Amino acid sequence: MRPSRIYPSPGEGPAASAELPGAVPGGRALPRLDREARLALLLVGPSLAVLLAVSTVPLLVLLGASLFRIELTRPWVGGFVGVANYAAMLEDVRFWHSLQVTAVYTLTSVALQLLLGLAFALALSAVVRGQGLLRVAVLLPMILTPVVVGLVWRTLLLTPRYGLLDYLSILLGLGSHSWLGDPRLALGAVIVMHTWQWTPFVFLVLAAALAALPVEPYEAALVDGATPWQRFRFLTLPLLRPAIVTVVVIRLIIALRAFDAIYAATGGGPGTATEILNLYAYRVAFNSLNLGYGAALTTALLLFTLGATVVFGRVRGAVEASP
Amino acid sequence: MERLTRREMLRLTAGGIAAWTLGAPRWSWSAPASDPYAAARIDWRQLAGERIHILVTPAHYFTKFRAITPEFTRLTGIEVTFEVIPPREMREKAVLDLSARTGNYASHTADPMYLPLYAVNNWVEPLDLFLNDHKLTDRAWFDLEDIVPLWRRHNTVRGRLWGMPVEGEVTIHIYRKDVYDQLGLRPPETLDELRETARRAHAPARNLYGLALRGFRGAGQNMYIWPSLFRAYGGQWFDHAGRPTVNSEAGVRALEYYVSVLREFAPRGVENWNWPEIMEAFAAGTVVQYIDANSTASVIENPAKSKVAGKIGYQRWPKGPTGKRVTSIWNWAMPVNAALPARKKQATWLYIQWLASRPTQLRSATFKEAPDAVVRTGVNRMSIWRDPDYRRVIAFTPDYADVVLTSLREDTDADWRPRIPEWPEIGEVMAIAIQEALVGRKTPKQALDDANAELRRVLRR
Repeated sequence: MRPSRIYPSPGEGPAASAELPGAVPGGRALPRLDREARLALLLVGPSLAVLLAVSTVPLLVLLGASLFRIELTRPWVGGFVGVANYAAMLEDVRFWHSLQVTAVYTLTSVALQLLLGLAFALALSAVVRGQGLLRVAVLLPMILTPVVVGLVWRTLLLTPRYGLLDYLSILLGLGSHSWLGDPRLALGAVIVMHTWQWTPFVFLVLAAALAALPVEPYEAALVDGATPWQRFRFLTLPLLRPAIVTVVVIRLIIALRAFDAIYAATGGGPGTATEILNLYAYRVAFNSLNLGYGAALTTALLLFTLGATVVFGRVRGAVEASP
Repeated sequence: MERLTRREMLRLTAGGIAAWTLGAPRWSWSAPASDPYAAARIDWRQLAGERIHILVTPAHYFTKFRAITPEFTRLTGIEVTFEVIPPREMREKAVLDLSARTGNYASHTADPMYLPLYAVNNWVEPLDLFLNDHKLTDRAWFDLEDIVPLWRRHNTVRGRLWGMPVEGEVTIHIYRKDVYDQLGLRPPETLDELRETARRAHAPARNLYGLALRGFRGAGQNMYIWPSLFRAYGGQWFDHAGRPTVNSEAGVRALEYYVSVLREFAPRGVENWNWPEIMEAFAAGTVVQYIDANSTASVIENPAKSKVAGKIGYQRWPKGPTGKRVTSIWNWAMPVNAALPARKKQATWLYIQWLASRPTQLRSATFKEAPDAVVRTGVNRMSIWRDPDYRRVIAFTPDYADVVLTSLREDTDADWRPRIPEWPEIGEVMAIAIQEALVGRKTPKQALDDANAELRRVLRR
């Protein structure tokens, strides 16, 4: 799965690199390699330049902006302030609050998606007929644009008295609630909304992984008289582990960057009850027009996402390394 | 179904085209005998061939403006294209365009509260540059003084006009006359009486709620209604040293009032309601009364869109404890982008002048851009408000026009909300505080204490 297993890395010595076509040891082969490298650079160059221009340059501009004081409401102040914007975060109650909301939102929704996605995948793997149709049906939420999801949930599903889910809640004797307006319920509601939309993704990956599992261990387990739970616990789960870790990493990154659905459903409210860090950074930059501080907040979010990715990357490495 | 022969089909088609061609002039606007624009002593065609791009919101009055803009192109030879985006996103796009000085949008429908920010950054041109240019403006014909004085004051920063009012509104108290009559209620004179009428008429079991006000968080949502309560309770935004004082006793009492009436008498979920939700609930007959823009009248009085058309009363805001009625102030202001080349600026000004002029305002007021089009209730000229023909069109009740005019004249001032460059952030901080109090996350006092501390941080005062 990892490139290093297919292509030898440079560190593996001359014997390994000799396997590369054209890379004969000795100085005479070098000019040819250079020529190829030049051609490769020529071919890749333009797209590389475009990539740098649209991804790396804005990132550098963002990092730079986070070190300046740029407030459009006060054009007369400004200038280089070093890490002052980052220091300001330490005292910013709203920042810490948004961080907390982000953590709860991300961890809860990813955990729920994993549980539900795995359950669906297992349940569906037992279904023999109509699997294709079921899969399409399950995938529908993921195909919708997050803004549309936010609006649909806000209006059709959660509107007090008229929304479908509120109606169900009344039928179940739980009463009518302002799901997106009650600070105790709003965060839960957007977590459920996010889970509804992204569980299909988890399901898709895990269902594919399940279908690719080898049958032999299961036959052996059956012969040994293993119970279904034992087969799940000691066979399916360990075999699925790489897929689970991968899907969790991808979901974490996307959940940390969530924006559109919450923006459309609650706008971060009531008050700041559902204001995740991304939304707060956006408000600081584009609403309060404090671009320097907004850039610093965005950089912080970037670092958190990067941190999560690195941590899970390590976990994944460990998982793959284990027999 | 009978089958048509080819010949019959051709005949029908030809007849249809003929009918459409003959009928067309009746649908389109026909110019009055004497061209009102010819009376202006300027050369309308001096910038023929220019093209300008304008950012507007999807509101019905801009739909009308857009629909009649081809007339402007015929008059001047200037081509106008539009980009239509909802208000919040429109504002962000405008600010991005202005701050980056890209000059994409020659003009846009600006929020007057943003004009101090525009002015301090020199993002837009002061309009007197164009108003005082005899080549570009016939002052006598344009008659700036006829434009609603309060709106002009609202768009004036440091003594100069930065955006031309092309449409506006005030907030008024709108109530179900039939419910009032049934219960023997009198229209409330004070905010306390308003609470009493809400209490008497509140019947959630029959799906009828006592009162609704904007609850959604936003500088243009809950911070568009609550400031009237704040001022009617005697609240001041700043003290003599310019320090924020929103957590004064008056402020706390105003927020307590807002929170208690909405929690007791508004439909569940009101904390996420902006004016469309309120208007729709009222039109569906589930809300007894609300205080919001007078422009909602043209929808709730439209029998095709409202169950309660013809059963509605209008009056000015009830008085607060200070004895003052305080309404909101709002208009759509059109500025000239300073990042444009000189000729485009002039072309933009010609368009703004044309749009804000009496003939265009009058014609667009009743222009039917669609079969179910509503009437404009926010024309920018006092002379039109006094015009009997126009008053007949908006006579939803005999005194509707007077309620609006009196509110505009007596019930507010230009500094109803703090007009300073930092407004976007102030509006946001206050909007969050108001909503947090409404949903019970904080008490009104807590919410305002926190907001005041936050405002001091924002303003460094």
